[in-house]
Amino acid sequence: MAARTQIGNQRSESEDALQVQRDHDAIAGLADDLLPALIAKLAASGLGEIEVRQGGWKARLRMPAPSDESRRSAAKAAKAADSHGHPAPGRGSAVHARPEDRLAVDVEDVSDEPARVAAKSPAVGIYNPRKDLAVGMRVRSGDRIGQVNVLGVNQDVISPVDGIIGSSLAEAGEAVEYGQELVRIELPEPEPPTSEASVHGAPVGAAGQS
Amino acid sequence: MFNKVLIANRGEIAVRILRACRTLGVGAVVAYSEADRESLAPQLADEAICIGPADARHSYLSAPAVISAAIVTGCDAIHPGYGFLSEDASFADVVRAHDLEFIGPSAEVLERFASKEATRRLLAAHGLQTIPGSTMLRDEAHALEEAERIGYPLLIKPSGGGGGKGMRLVRNARELESTFKVSRSEAKAAFGDDSLYLEKFLEENRHIEIQVAVDRFGNAVHMFERDCSVQRRHQKIIEETPSPALSEDARRDLAERALKAVAAAGYENLGTLEFLVDSKGEAYFIEINCRVQVEHAITEMVTGIDMVALQIRIAAGDPLGFTQADIASSGHAIEFRILAEDPAKDFRPQSGQVGAYLTPGGPGVRMDSHLYPGYEIPSYYDSLLGKLCVWAPNRAEAIARGDAALRELLVDGVTTNIELHRAILANQVFIDGKVTTSLLDRVGSAPFVAAGNR
Repeated sequence: MAARTQIGNQRSESEDALQVQRDHDAIAGLADDLLPALIAKLAASGLGEIEVRQGGWKARLRMPAPSDESRRSAAKAAKAADSHGHPAPGRGSAVHARPEDRLAVDVEDVSDEPARVAAKSPAVGIYNPRKDLAVGMRVRSGDRIGQVNVLGVNQDVISPVDGIIGSSLAEAGEAVEYGQELVRIELPEPEPPTSEASVHGAPVGAAGQS
Repeated sequence: MFNKVLIANRGEIAVRILRACRTLGVGAVVAYSEADRESLAPQLADEAICIGPADARHSYLSAPAVISAAIVTGCDAIHPGYGFLSEDASFADVVRAHDLEFIGPSAEVLERFASKEATRRLLAAHGLQTIPGSTMLRDEAHALEEAERIGYPLLIKPSGGGGGKGMRLVRNARELESTFKVSRSEAKAAFGDDSLYLEKFLEENRHIEIQVAVDRFGNAVHMFERDCSVQRRHQKIIEETPSPALSEDARRDLAERALKAVAAAGYENLGTLEFLVDSKGEAYFIEINCRVQVEHAITEMVTGIDMVALQIRIAAGDPLGFTQADIASSGHAIEFRILAEDPAKDFRPQSGQVGAYLTPGGPGVRMDSHLYPGYEIPSYYDSLLGKLCVWAPNRAEAIARGDAALRELLVDGVTTNIELHRAILANQVFIDGKVTTSLLDRVGSAPFVAAGNR
């Protein structure tokens, strides 16, 4: 907060600086208020991605890409901050992405799609993939690709994106923890920047509880 | 003894339980939420498992997540720590239904002591004096009627609450009328139970609690008292033992009466009986905590008993292995709760990343904490960063050691109450051992901090 006020004091001379200040306030607002809520929501929902627009700003959260992807988006986020000619605002450190992070967070960065993502465990329990699950199979965002048995109650493992089933990261009958990556989903080609493909058309498989 | 224990808690107590398991030679798995991945307990543990998202309702408070984690990691017992599921009778019951042991009192015992009001009646029947209070309040008219009978000032208390949460002080009928509805909806929101009762408010009182342990064979011991009178809004911030307010005879007498009553009422495992002691030295029983307490460490320092290990041994069906005659309270111990709060800004909880972190040392100094340099304090949970405890042969030396240790303790990057602790130690009321539970709230923290800076 202190750093932000300082930037404001230094720059309040010109119109241009005022805009920059506003931008930084908006980023800080996103980082302080919106992102923690979104991250919690995304983590709890089992969704692959959330996008929110607010004023002239857009924040998109994505469940983890493989580690090289996180690194790339971290670099991009840093670049985005640089392009304003300023360091990231004081509390902007909330918007960071280390390789080991489970969530990759991009602010004002909509052009980048990971080449691969993974379906993750919604709970701690015993994992069982769908019987017919095979490498190369096409899935839509929201399709059930397996289940995690929690004390006899099955919870669905959902594909976070439209894509193609890749390698399995957990065996059938294996104990898995919450958030563990279970199946790689390969993306056929980079999606258009603001694609909402997941909304169009009905999912292929049944995504309901069973 | 157990093979492997699931530690279903976080922060400093998860680290503490892990240490107890290791000294007992028992395996341990730390269950953590996504927000606690970088916390110390999962880092230290040989095995750790993520049980859910940051929101405690879907992780530390989720019985299915916790029990499933215990099963898939091959644990045979669950240690709930304090808070979260630690006093939840139905959780203890479900744990047992899955052939796991709940480390704490059995479901039946928790059930028997679940309602504060019923517990007061039960222990009153076994000879403990209780604060004059009401039955469960039906409605506002009933509340006013009961208030008239008991006399103001009164506390409105939620039956499902704990740790002072949700309590309100009313000084007359008008205040009771204007507060009753709010209290009811607050209780409903906070505890899922809107039952309220009234209790006579003792203006100048001390909070003194008795530590007991009872095994499955009925062997029962007390481990003397802790004085938790330094409070802020009913939250303890400094605890010490022995109490400076009780004579040697009085503390023995209170501990023995408490133990006799609770053992007769069929209690089991570790427990703490909380009393309010008025200016005349009368002790009124207020509630029992059926779990390990945050402030257990000072009892460990004066008795030499590892209470978490004892708790695990009792749950595993071991006999105590010692008697009351084996327990002595030696010297004086003080605990300072190091909290991420800003005393200058109405104690607002702080979060942030810990920069430099240095814990104090020297004779009789102990730090129980989950911090390390670079640790990012999550904003989802309580503000307890750790507990600094000191022991010395007598109270004056314990205060001196406390001050020296607080001066050494360094937690950069986040505002803490370390300086407030030093200010309280330097205050004459504390030095004289005359702090009552309302002191900090009445005078505020500013005079303490200001005096401490002089």
